[in-house]
Amino acid sequence: MSLIEVTQLAKNFKSFHAVRDVSFHVNEGDVFGFLGPNGAGKSTTIRCLLSLIRPSFGEIKFFDKSLKENRAEVLTKVGCIIEKPDFYKYLSAQRNLEIFARISGKDITKRQIQEMIDFVGLNGREGDKVSGFSHGMKQRLGIAQTLLHNPDVIILDEPTTGLDPQGIIEVRNLILRLRDEQKKTVLLSSHQLSEIEIIANRMVIINQGKTIVEGEVQALLEKQSLNLEITVENKNPFEGLMLSKFPNLVVRNVYKSTYHVEMIEDIRIPLIEALVNAGCGVKSVIPKRSLEDFFIKMTEK
Amino acid sequence: MWWRNTINELVKIATKIRSYIGIGALTLLIFIVLFAMKADGKSYIGFVTASFEQTLSFNGKILNGNLIAFIIMQMLIVHVPLLISLVTGDLLSGEEAAGTVRMLATKPITRTSIVLSKWFSATIYTLIMTVWLGFLSLFVAKWMFGSGDLIVLNSNGLLIIPEADLAWRFGLALIIAFLALWTVATLSLAFSAFAKNSVGPIVSTMAVIILFTIIGTLDVSVFDSIKPYMFTTHMAAWRSVFEDPYPSYEILESIIILSAHIIILLGITILRFNKKDITS
Repeated sequence: MSLIEVTQLAKNFKSFHAVRDVSFHVNEGDVFGFLGPNGAGKSTTIRCLLSLIRPSFGEIKFFDKSLKENRAEVLTKVGCIIEKPDFYKYLSAQRNLEIFARISGKDITKRQIQEMIDFVGLNGREGDKVSGFSHGMKQRLGIAQTLLHNPDVIILDEPTTGLDPQGIIEVRNLILRLRDEQKKTVLLSSHQLSEIEIIANRMVIINQGKTIVEGEVQALLEKQSLNLEITVENKNPFEGLMLSKFPNLVVRNVYKSTYHVEMIEDIRIPLIEALVNAGCGVKSVIPKRSLEDFFIKMTEK
Repeated sequence: MWWRNTINELVKIATKIRSYIGIGALTLLIFIVLFAMKADGKSYIGFVTASFEQTLSFNGKILNGNLIAFIIMQMLIVHVPLLISLVTGDLLSGEEAAGTVRMLATKPITRTSIVLSKWFSATIYTLIMTVWLGFLSLFVAKWMFGSGDLIVLNSNGLLIIPEADLAWRFGLALIIAFLALWTVATLSLAFSAFAKNSVGPIVSTMAVIILFTIIGTLDVSVFDSIKPYMFTTHMAAWRSVFEDPYPSYEILESIIILSAHIIILLGITILRFNKKDITS
């Protein structure tokens, strides 16, 4: 069942076309990666999904209902963080959560608020003013605010922006817990492509306001060519072997005796055997079929 | 949902330091006036009554709490709008500047309800400021200076209003003053819907008041047709309550025009906020 369905979404700001034609759907239980280079229209699309921006054209449906006609009902079941979570700095974390709980469309008790504070690891700091919080703490408070009303769909726009590596891991683990333990549907926009590769099962890539590709992350990755990064001790036999035995491979010297090898078919085993037999002194072979390559390829077209 | 958000708005106003700047400044100003009157009030009054002393003899206590309250209201009613717009001009633009508007607008509450909650909170704040102004100028002044008949100097000459006839006049004057301040609060809220920080709405509100006041005082016929409809023309309508007989039709006209301004400005705010793309 599709929980989110976006069809031919477009948004113009006067003569500027921020989003031209974006379509995708998010299924129940998905962790859905929403990717695109800067200026692709990701934030505008997400703002349209949350009714912060009125679309110029197209339709957005949540739970098979039009967002335009069922805004309040839909938003009761949606939690979100847009870029960075901003709070009332002059209020405590608890008071901030109380404020957002009051208008969440559900009756939330103080006990539930406290439980959520505990869940994101801010217990003991709930009485402190948000002005004294670090970015990571605000992000955790943002997640508490997002989950407070137990939404079915969670929309996270760049949730790890500005976080240190530890913070990124914490947010990533939290998303995995939401998926695995609470069976939430998550739409995740991120520049951390490795993050999407690890946690998303489906994704869409948009560029210049248009959908480029949508599908299962693994299936999309398997379609692309396999790249290897090979480092050898002896450059001469390596280059000779490549020319004589593997003329169809695209080989590029990236650094000293490290080569980037692009192959259409998976011939890793015969290739490595040939390199070893030719006395190249293979030091390392690193597979490079990553979302990053795929993303660059898709957005370069 | 509207009421729940109104509670939120009242909590925000009550916990913001800037909300107390207005109340603090108002209190300080009133106490400065009270202190000045206590120290040198007699010569101040003597200067005003000097021209009448050859034809009239004044018995009783002219410098009393009622007169001080009247003087305070006259002096401060021009400055209180600035103190009110400090808070009301920040209500929508402050959310935009802090980024919290994103959080607010993604909740299942209509944008119209958001504006109405803020407007209602602005109304409560304005009411508190007016009541505080009334309390300090009337009750504290009476406690310090005692009570008595009120002498009012206006364009028709000197009017003495008996003490027994003053309670309802002060009450009605404060209601009309509240209506004028409420118009200013709604104006700054309207500006707030167009701005991304609170400086613009506060400055714009004061600029409009100053501009309209200047137009109102210019004795040029080209402005005669618009003067009766400018809210600034009616901001001092409370003073008419201290005339005898008091001009009920003029007062009613002022009430209608100020109310119309409030409704139109609120409508503009709702329209603007509903149409706004939140891109911050």
